[in-house]
Parts: sequence; structure tokens; C-alpha cells
Amino acid sequence: MTNRFLITYGYYFRNYYRSRSFYLMLLLVLLISGLMVYLSFRYINKLPDFIPALKGKTISTSLKEDLFLYIWAFVLSDLPVFAAVFFGSPAISSEIENRTAFQIFPLPIGRSVLLMGKYLASVSVTLAITAIYVFMEFITYTLVFPTQIPVTFLSSLGLLVVFIFSISAFTFLVSSIFKKNLYAYITVFLIYFIIFSAINIVFELIYSYNPFFLLANAASIVERVFINVSTSTFAVNNSIAGAPFSSIMVSLMVMVLYLVVSIVASLLLFENKEVK
Amino acid sequence: MPTLEIKGVSKNFGSLQALREITLEVETPQCIGILGPNGAGKTTLLKIITNILKPSEGKILVNGVNVNQNPTKALEKIGALVEQPEFYPYLTGRETMNFVARIKGMSSSESAEEIKRLGKITGITEYLDRKTGEYSRGMKQRLGLAVSMIGDPEIIVLDEPTFGLDPRGMKEMRDILIRIRDEKNTIILFSTHLLSEAREVCDRVIIIDNGEIKFNDEIKDMNGTKMRIRGSFSNVKNTSNGLNMTINGNEIIVEIKPGSTRNLVLKELMGMGVEIDSVEGMDRMEEVYLSLVQ
Repeated sequence: MTNRFLITYGYYFRNYYRSRSFYLMLLLVLLISGLMVYLSFRYINKLPDFIPALKGKTISTSLKEDLFLYIWAFVLSDLPVFAAVFFGSPAISSEIENRTAFQIFPLPIGRSVLLMGKYLASVSVTLAITAIYVFMEFITYTLVFPTQIPVTFLSSLGLLVVFIFSISAFTFLVSSIFKKNLYAYITVFLIYFIIFSAINIVFELIYSYNPFFLLANAASIVERVFINVSTSTFAVNNSIAGAPFSSIMVSLMVMVLYLVVSIVASLLLFENKEVK
Repeated sequence: MPTLEIKGVSKNFGSLQALREITLEVETPQCIGILGPNGAGKTTLLKIITNILKPSEGKILVNGVNVNQNPTKALEKIGALVEQPEFYPYLTGRETMNFVARIKGMSSSESAEEIKRLGKITGITEYLDRKTGEYSRGMKQRLGLAVSMIGDPEIIVLDEPTFGLDPRGMKEMRDILIRIRDEKNTIILFSTHLLSEAREVCDRVIIIDNGEIKFNDEIKDMNGTKMRIRGSFSNVKNTSNGLNMTINGNEIIVEIKPGSTRNLVLKELMGMGVEIDSVEGMDRMEEVYLSLVQ
């Protein structure tokens, strides 16, 4: 069982990292991180201007570091979404559309093993892509600031990893529903960037309530561990301190919940998948 | 000895009944050709055997193991090439075969040996290190066949394996199947549109039409009793001479009755004034197929 899982994982991982999607994402990440490096050096002294409450004020070095990490993490938290869309959205639908299911379904291996192998391969390439950005962030930080990188950076990375698992599982679930890759791509984008935002706006404006249960909101904890300002919400009671432990735990729980529900539902759908 | 039991298998797609209570037991190694027109249910049956589709009713047992209930165990004994094969495009033929070999429990060295052996048999050795995304239709078909043969499965399921191949490729593919049939202790199930192919490769023929098995018999029992004659029949004076024949334009199909011979019938026809251009023996498979398939 373990051996078959590892074989499946290796097989899919290889197929992923040789794919055009991988190189496209790699290029995108290199461009984005290159731009971030440039902007970091260019605007390092104007960092407070990014937060309206701090505009024109002199701030401490530690707050400056947090602002720096916040802005990098703000961009970082969207990278897994794009990577997961590239790698996860067509994960199951492509088996039907590209007819590879006819090769893998008759193999003496459980479909759950196939799905989990592919899922972990997708997570791995997403982690590899985001690791490049994180590495650039780390190098830039050490060049800009003489101090050691704060522990919250590690918390942010830990939450990022959970988010990658979570968003990848979510894209696998969407992919399990469709037989065409395009539908899966569009649906993930629609849900994450349009439907989640719409729900957010409605809750914030009408009920003055932060819909913490949305994956996009939970994912913002990756940057909010540095400064508790969420640009994805209209909440007014934000602070320039890092998010409290309770907020971190709630966001973590939401991401884990999405992960578990999505994986279980994907497994059920994939297990019963038929190809006419 | 491998066994394959198909017990009362039906498959519905909405209101369409694609298969109706198919029952078939294969207990000896043999090659079975599944014939039938488009949409008859041939591929659906093969897909159910290989766990790509699930039966609406009934069950498939491979060596007594239910494919639907315990697919991992049942499929250990099956090699399959269903529909036109497609592979992950960024992996090479060797990597594709290695994956299947390892899944089937082979070690790395055993897998390498198996890939070498099957590469040679299917004629894809020189393409094995190319990515499958660069393969032609025929190469994919050969790779698909090689994959289906990994680990010497006891049951090989092939869905129109010669489809899309050039005449030379078709001949080579048939030769491979004949070799497996003759050398291995294997049940081969393969669907085809070509009666000649079934006749050349198979021990037994099943004809499916409208989701039902209409015919199931051994090839050796299918010697023909009819001939197809092409020529001019305008001078035929008398057709009521006891010959059982059907005239259709410039073609006549005539039955060779027990006790008579092909030469006697031809002599009789010439005596009737038939000018013969060509004579072609029809085997019973063709007769049966044409009479059963609407």
C-alpha cells in the first residue's frame, strides 16, 4: 500500500514538474518575486505609507520588519491559489477529458491511492513554486534588515503550508465534479475570487460581520500574523499588531475543515467515477 | 487456470439500456472475439470488466473475485487496453510502463527486464525514451498493448486493438495476439469490427447486438455453407432447380447443401446461364453476423 502510494506519487510528481503549467508558474513566480525584490529596495523607507493609519509617521524597526513581511506575505498568499488552479483544477477532469482514465482505472490500485498520490504530487509542486518566492523573501529580508527574521515568519510559513494543502484539496474537489478542464478552472476562479468576495461584501456591508468561514478570509492569516489588517475585508477594528492567537486558531480550523471535507468528498466522487 | 465469469450484467445510461443481462463463463485459456455494430455494447462490457464502468446489475468475477467489490485484487490478473490509449504526455513510454510494472508488484530490475521484453515484442524499443506526448496514434496503440501485457496477466482485455493502425501495423498487432494466444495460458477478450480479424485470431466469437449476446460459438464450428458469386445473371433461364440462392444485382449468394460441393454448385449455375466473374466462400461467421445484426 505505502509502496504503491509512493510509486504513484513519484509518477505524478514527475508528470507535474515537466508540464507546461509548472514552467509557466515558475516564470510567474520569478517575475513576481523579482518585482517584489525591486519594490522592497525601492520603497523600504516608505513602508508606513502602505497602511493609512501609519502614513507619514515614524515607526519602530520591528514594525517596519512586520510591514515588510506583511506585504510579501500578502502577495504570497495568492500564489498557492494560482498554482493550485494550474495543478489541481485539471487533476481529475483531465483524466476524463484526456482519456488517461482508461489507462489508470484498470490498474490494480485503489482509486483512493491514485487520488492521494496525485494530490500530494500537486501539493509538492505548489510548495516548490512558493518556496522560490519564500527564499527570495528571506534573502531580501536579510539584506534589508540586520536583525534575525522573527518567529512569526515561521508561523506564517506553517499557515501557508496548511493553506496550500487546503486550496489544493478544494481544487481537487471541483475537478472531481467536472469532465472538462476548462469548467474546473473557471469554477475555481469564480468561487475563490468572485463568489467568496461577493459573500464577503454582503456580510461586511449588510451585517458588519466578518465571514471567517470563507477560505479566502482564513488564508489571509498568512499575512495577518504580522499585522492584523485584512485588505480583503472592510472590518474597521483592525490593528497594526499581529493577529491574536484565537484568530490564528480559527483560521487554521477553517483551512483544515476545507481540507478534510474537500478530500473526503473528492475521494467519494473519484471512487464512484465512471468513464463512458 | 484463469476464469472469467460475467453474471447477469446489465448497464443503463439513463433510460438507455446499453447491456441486458449478459452472462458468460470462460474457464479455459482462449481468445474470444467480441463482434457487433457500433453502439452494440462491446466497449461497455469491456469497460465493466476493467472497472472503468460499474454494472447497474450483475457481477463480474475474475478467478472468483468480484471486480466491483474488490477491484484491486481482481484487476491484478487483468491487463487492459480500452479505447484509443492516451498517456500522461510528459512521461516517456519507459516511465509509463515502469509505473504499471511497479504497481503490479515488480521490483525495479524486474520492471526493466519486462520493459525490454515487451518493447521488443511490440516493436517500440526505440521509442521508449520519448515522451508519450510525441507518440503517433500507432505508437500509442503499441504502447497500450505493451502496458496491457505487463506481468503476463491471466486475462487480457483489448478494445479494438488494431483501430487506427496502418495495414502493416494491423498485421503485426494480430501476430502479437496470435503469439500470446499460442504461448500463454491467457484468456484474451477483444472487440473488433473486422470479421476477418476475429477469424484469424480468435478461438471463439461472441456477437453482441443491442446490448445482448446474440451468438457465442467456437470458430472451428463455423465453416461456411454459402458462396458469394459475382457475375452476370441476365441469361439465367431457370432458378427453380433446387438451389437455395438469393440474387441481388450482379451478386448471388448460394448455399452449398449437405452432400453437394462448391464445384457441383458452380457447374449447376453455369448450366443455368450464369456468367461467373468471381467466387468467394462465405463463412458461417459472416452469415450469422449478417443475419443477427440488424
